[in-house]
Amino acid sequence: MNNYILSKKTVVNDLATFYSFLIGLIIAICIGSVILLIQDQNPISVFSLMLKLSVGSINSLSSSLNKAIPLILAGLGISIMNSVKLWNIGAEGQIFLGAIAVNLIYINIEIYNSSLFILILLISGFVGGSICILLPAITKVVFGVNEIITTLLTNYIIIGLTIYLVNGPWKDPKSLNFPAAAYVGEEVYLPTIFGRLSSGFLICILFTIGAYYLKEKSVFGYEMRIAGGSAMTAIYAGINARQKAFFAMLIGGGFAGLAGAIELLSQTHRVSIGISQGFGYTAIIVAAITGMRPIGIFLVGCLFGALTIGGAVIQTIGVSSYIAEIIQATTLIGALVSQFFFTYQIKEVKDG
Amino acid sequence: MNQKLLEAKNIYKSFGKIQALNNVDFYLYKGKIHGLLGENGAGKSSLMNILSGIYQPEKGSIIYKGEKQKKLNPESAGKLGIGMVHQEFRLIENFSIKDNLTLSKANIYVNDFEEAFKKYSEIFSLAANHDTLISELSVGEKQKIEIMKLIFNNNKIMLLDEPTAVLTPHETNQLKISLDTLSKEDEKTIVFITHKLKEIKEFTETIFVMKNGEMVAKDLETKSVKDNDLVTLMMGEITKSVVKKDNKKGEIKLTVENISLKSQDDGFNNLDDINLNIKAGEILGIAGVSGNGQVELANIISGIHPNFEGKVTIKGQDVSEKGVKARKKLNLSYIPENRLGVGLAPGVSILDNSVVKEYFSASYGPHLSTNKMVNYLNLLIKEFSIKTDEPKAEISTLSGGNMQKLLMGRELISNPEVIIAAQPTRGLDVSAVEALHELIINQRNNGSAIMLISEDLDELFKLSDRLLVLYEGKIIKEFNINEANTNNVGLAMAGVIE
Repeated sequence: MNNYILSKKTVVNDLATFYSFLIGLIIAICIGSVILLIQDQNPISVFSLMLKLSVGSINSLSSSLNKAIPLILAGLGISIMNSVKLWNIGAEGQIFLGAIAVNLIYINIEIYNSSLFILILLISGFVGGSICILLPAITKVVFGVNEIITTLLTNYIIIGLTIYLVNGPWKDPKSLNFPAAAYVGEEVYLPTIFGRLSSGFLICILFTIGAYYLKEKSVFGYEMRIAGGSAMTAIYAGINARQKAFFAMLIGGGFAGLAGAIELLSQTHRVSIGISQGFGYTAIIVAAITGMRPIGIFLVGCLFGALTIGGAVIQTIGVSSYIAEIIQATTLIGALVSQFFFTYQIKEVKDG
Repeated sequence: MNQKLLEAKNIYKSFGKIQALNNVDFYLYKGKIHGLLGENGAGKSSLMNILSGIYQPEKGSIIYKGEKQKKLNPESAGKLGIGMVHQEFRLIENFSIKDNLTLSKANIYVNDFEEAFKKYSEIFSLAANHDTLISELSVGEKQKIEIMKLIFNNNKIMLLDEPTAVLTPHETNQLKISLDTLSKEDEKTIVFITHKLKEIKEFTETIFVMKNGEMVAKDLETKSVKDNDLVTLMMGEITKSVVKKDNKKGEIKLTVENISLKSQDDGFNNLDDINLNIKAGEILGIAGVSGNGQVELANIISGIHPNFEGKVTIKGQDVSEKGVKARKKLNLSYIPENRLGVGLAPGVSILDNSVVKEYFSASYGPHLSTNKMVNYLNLLIKEFSIKTDEPKAEISTLSGGNMQKLLMGRELISNPEVIIAAQPTRGLDVSAVEALHELIINQRNNGSAIMLISEDLDELFKLSDRLLVLYEGKIIKEFNINEANTNNVGLAMAGVIE
């Protein structure tokens, strides 16, 4: 009698991850089409409109890429933390605290050289994100508290803090009772490159390369991989596993904080509850779909940015923007399921 | 002679390629205490799991009171009154003693629980109230509850898998008295599994011995059997060493002085005043049943375990306060017992794992050169004939033998001066064992001082120049290899000193 077992393939290569993403995307588009059909919409015309309005012109393409920036940066942060097998569910909070840190520095310091000021503000954003994850990092490293819970809960604290600030001490009297802080001055706006594309996108490219290098080509990345594989092996090799986890968390949080800073300096220009529209959560999807590969996060981040813009504009023809979110979420589910088929193979084993 | 209550005939059981039980016969007499003796991995637990219906044998039959039993599962075994206490407790920690004892539907003391509990508390000298939560009990008390659970579930045949492994000597004595009472007054049939000679002689009336999945001796009367015979049965005859041991020994490379480690609740065994030294070109064998302090000793010498008393000197330098990396710089290599999990990181690629010891030599500042790593791995593959085709594949895709070759190759290629090798060939097939032994001999001839920790006496006799026996954290005996034999070493491993 012959049995069949599922056995894990020896290598899951980048291509397999790409295929599973494609399959996931196709599944997502099919499901999206069904939902559109139920709503008496023609899927082909809706999707082509989405395509046109998200990448069809310089303006729409640059808007899409602007939306991609926070997704990519937060996604990279999640990916770096995952090198030590830790999950960052707190990117949303880190984005907010990054923006808050920028505003705090902005109101308290004055530097007349605007490029230097911008640089300092960006660094503040990064540090803000790191501070946001500091408590989860300490509790993880010292007491072993599950970081998924602590980073998630930190989001609520930071969002609460944001609401307090924009309704209280930072409330802009000119905002006509809209809860928001005052606008930052134009001297600290991030310049645009072309169309509406913010120069934050260049930072994004730089950080993608940096994250790839850190994860794949550096000693620190290697030590993170070993520590993530087995804490005992790390101790055996003389690697301080806790220290690696701690710094991976601070860097991961910093990436998301930088996303918040860029969002503030290039898009919203003021702190409000609208700094992030769930970017920190969507970034988890982006990172998971790509199997935590930095280059993949960059590409999928761009696609998801376009989907968000596309979803927003189709509202004008009476289609709910939620269709974009449905596509994002089903892409993840589809990709994760199809990843299973690329990761495992069916093997025949003979009895005895 | 007594009637056989339960009998297992011609039992076969394999796990993958490993034949765990090979044509095993076993039988029990009503009301007697039976000893089942054997080394780790001899098949004792597998046989017990078959009797209690947890595993299904591939071939063979189980006969209860002369009646052949069709497929036995835990429920039908329970109905026959067969119950087992596993090495790992199966109690619900946040339930009370009473809830745990009465949990099963097989429980017979429903209305008269109080009475029964009182009676057996006395037999087991258990002081705890039945409302106490399991989590508040000591290990020894939990053990008592496990055995009481069998009684409350009306199990007349009680299979106890290494019950004394977790007990203090005092608790062990108590257990002996309780089991005697149970077999005499309640006519319980008991199987007592152990690899400790002293205990099997004290506890049991008749002894069965297993080795390598076979039942090598059946129904030996405990009173009349000799210790030496049991050891020979359990360990087998040792094949004569073919390794020459006349190589030149040099100066002392490793000295360990007065090493002690207090056992705390963190799962470590204690060590008690360990003193040893190893010369260049010498292999010092450390014999002992695992769990007698070997892992702790190796971890202390290699720098993994920092909190200990005593002094470790490598090549004349006191390294007691130094970390892992400093000791590696003195050219110390450690091949840990736990291949996957300590020596190699699971879930990480073969390439990454191949440079764990020397990844610094592939780095330029913060940069890690993938080329250098690949070259290093290729060197290991060539030198140690490791079979792998994909360096980026996860480490667990390698076979056990190739994994160990990678680990040993990684640790030996730098020609270390001091080597700690723990269970280097455990679980490997004969050809891999030979290849690895050759590596160790080569290192010795190159002038390494080698500490070889092993449970395999064949291996220890073949390779070592001297032999220490570790028992309950103490060196209880030292042998020159010429005067060591299965008997005297086996006895020392079981805690018996002549």
